Amino acid sequence: MLQTAKATFHRNMISMIRAYPWSFFLSHILSGIYTVLFAYFTYTYVFEGVLDSRFSNYAGTNDYLSYVFLGGALFSFAVSTLMNVSRSLITEQREGTLEALLLTPSSRKGYFLGNVTQQITRTLLEFLIILIFAFLLGLQFKHIHFLSAIFIWFCAVIGFFSQALLLGSVMLYFRDTYITQNTLFVTMAFVSGVTFPIGYLPEWVAPLSWMMPLTPALEAFRHSVLEGQGLAASGSQLLHLSFLSFLYLIVGSLGIKKTEKIVVEKIFS
Amino acid sequence: MIGWIRLFLAELKKEHRNMFHSRLVYFSLLIWPVIGFITSYYSFKPFSLNDNSPITRFVPPDHLVLFLLTGYLAYLFFWSLVQSAWQMGYERQSGTLEMIFLTPVHRLALIYGRSFSSLLESVWLFFTFVIMILFIVEGIQVDGWWSFPFAFFILFISAVIWGGFLNAIFLFSRDAGFFYTILDEPMLIFSGVRIPPLAFPIWAKGLALFFPLTYTLHIIRMLVMEAATFIEILPSFTVLLVVLLVLINISAFVIKKAENHMKQTGSMVLF
Amino acid sequence: MLIVDGVSKVYQSKVREKLWKTTYKEVKAVEDLSFQIEPGKIIGLLGMNGAGKTTTIKMCTTLLEPNSGSITVDGYDAVKDDRKVKSLVNMIAGGERMLYWRLTGRENLNYFGNLYGIKEATLKQRIDLLLKEVGLEDAADTPVEQYSKGMKQRLQIARGLINDPKYLFLDEPTLGLDAPIAKHLRSYVKTLAKEKNKGVLLTSHYIDEVEELCDEVYILDKGRLILHDTPERLTASVFKENSLHIWVPALPNRTQKELEKLLRTYHAKMEIKQSIDLEEIEIIIKTEQEITSSVLALLSNHQLTVLKLVVEQPKLEDAILHLAERRIG
Repeated sequence: MLQTAKATFHRNMISMIRAYPWSFFLSHILSGIYTVLFAYFTYTYVFEGVLDSRFSNYAGTNDYLSYVFLGGALFSFAVSTLMNVSRSLITEQREGTLEALLLTPSSRKGYFLGNVTQQITRTLLEFLIILIFAFLLGLQFKHIHFLSAIFIWFCAVIGFFSQALLLGSVMLYFRDTYITQNTLFVTMAFVSGVTFPIGYLPEWVAPLSWMMPLTPALEAFRHSVLEGQGLAASGSQLLHLSFLSFLYLIVGSLGIKKTEKIVVEKIFS
Repeated sequence: MIGWIRLFLAELKKEHRNMFHSRLVYFSLLIWPVIGFITSYYSFKPFSLNDNSPITRFVPPDHLVLFLLTGYLAYLFFWSLVQSAWQMGYERQSGTLEMIFLTPVHRLALIYGRSFSSLLESVWLFFTFVIMILFIVEGIQVDGWWSFPFAFFILFISAVIWGGFLNAIFLFSRDAGFFYTILDEPMLIFSGVRIPPLAFPIWAKGLALFFPLTYTLHIIRMLVMEAATFIEILPSFTVLLVVLLVLINISAFVIKKAENHMKQTGSMVLF
Repeated sequence: MLIVDGVSKVYQSKVREKLWKTTYKEVKAVEDLSFQIEPGKIIGLLGMNGAGKTTTIKMCTTLLEPNSGSITVDGYDAVKDDRKVKSLVNMIAGGERMLYWRLTGRENLNYFGNLYGIKEATLKQRIDLLLKEVGLEDAADTPVEQYSKGMKQRLQIARGLINDPKYLFLDEPTLGLDAPIAKHLRSYVKTLAKEKNKGVLLTSHYIDEVEELCDEVYILDKGRLILHDTPERLTASVFKENSLHIWVPALPNRTQKELEKLLRTYHAKMEIKQSIDLEEIEIIIKTEQEITSSVLALLSNHQLTVLKLVVEQPKLEDAILHLAERRIG
């Protein structure tokens, strides 16, 4: 498994250096920056900082800008990870290398592990650029509990990775990337507490919020960055996140295994 | 002229066959915008929305839904054209466009025919929205029955011309995705779809002037939210006409330049 | 030994009738197929498009699972022990797919070698050897996107040999290759079987290729095995029917009668076609024997000018059609 992971990491690194996916890179950064910019405009110019009385109650902080900035940055990181991992197999199919890959007795988990670790080198850079931009517009790091923030970020990566496996098998099955992934992304932006606390949402949306790993990941991340809390304060969120990661990892791996076969048949039927 | 019409109709048919039954249309022109609209409505929830809220300087809080709806509707019209222009980029890659350029057809007819026809496909959406606005939303104030068709007319014309401009750009650029990133979300922020441009700082107001949607949206909101009379919108309307005229000229210029470039170098990629 | 025993494969394909209504259509790609591949032997699999050749290969290489029947490779089941089987087999397909275009030739081989879990030292040696054997030493460090079609095809072969497979499957390996390269490839395949004792299964459209290389030939039609023989016997029994096309300005009744009489003695069949402008007549004669000179002699005896003469060798397609018809009849 590790040999496969290492080889895949290496292979992707070479391809990335030879042809850097600039337009993906740029569009991920820009969409994060636009979210940040939009929040800043609304807060500063339209509402002049006057908040709803319930906000601090729902959000756990009074700092609207930092709240939304973190949301925007982690959301765009989630989108990048989901996209990169889930598209990898379908890209192999489109470029005609899927069969060559399936011919080998390599471990699929190793393949995805190599993919995700390589892609983190790129998505992490996107994430940091957005954070720096947000910092310039007033994101506060005063209270940050650094170690727990990093740990939560790491758990979030695992959560997004598992979700990406599931997304990848759905996309491979329908042989569609555009519709499936965008529908997921607009839904995530709506239900996961990216630009407003989920407390404002009507109750029937709650199950959807609950299904997104981004929801607990964001809550825990905000606890540690904005309120400076340790891991203990985010226990329930981390439990929630691990449960979702575990569930999606199982369902996603099974899904990939099944759809691989279906895809090979579809190519030849 | 006959050539114009024939091409126009041919493009119309092709677009219809390409697009109408595809699920993409339902998602990209209905489901995603509706979720986006709801999300942006909820994004205002953290702010104070009572009568003393600073937003009353621009929009009364109870008209916020109408404000967002008009914004999203107009944005949708413009956006559906971005998508169609994007597909034009694919056609270029697959080589069908060179075939079109072998024909003696008028180039502007091509880009506006395309733009017009892809817009027609989404007209049903417009009516869904209009019905929503009429029956659900509070705050509509019109001068007379003419306001609606006139608002629609303005929206349609400016969207077609905007679409033509995009087609011209996408036709000759290597990385259409890049232009898409540059043009799509800034339009959403700066042209006043979700927040009133009047609230912007001066530099953002300046940016807003570059998007025709800003002018269109301004007039439409005057028409349906402020009961503006024709005389009242006339100055803004004139400005819009000038902007559209400039846009047509830029499109024609880009096409001419690109075709010359193609004749010299054999490559359709201009930038 | 690779044993295919009573294997069938059914595809279900969706037929979209209306926007939300779909029905399923079943297509039998392979039906009750059995054959064996011994190490050192080259087996040819022939058939027209859609006969089930590619499906058969995909099943033997574990990419597809059969609906019924079994495939075992040196005692390992292709479904249950698919990982073990994968390390014993490999496949080379014609065309330019199955390679990473942004990587160099060496990087491609290195990546796939790692996916097979080959140890680094062994892998490095093997890559150098393979690159040399397929003649890509000089291009080893050039990205594949800059390769020519033939070079990509040769790299494909190296990729197909990277795990030193015991059984090798070649799906239309010479499709679209220039004649000299195809010839080189054929001799290489022969070496692989005869000197390195690999079992090879080959599908092809070209009858010459099959004749030159294969020890045994299987012919598939619509997923069913319709013939199994050596190439020599096949050419003797199936491919010997030539067709003779003769164009003449006119064909008087008397000549036609004489001709029919002559052909009857040779058990040959005749067909007569009139051209649209009525200026010439085409006589098509199908026969298993060499009768061109006798036919020409008869025509010249009747003072008929021969405008054009074409002798056609049988095409694989014709032969298979012929066989299929015979089977139904």
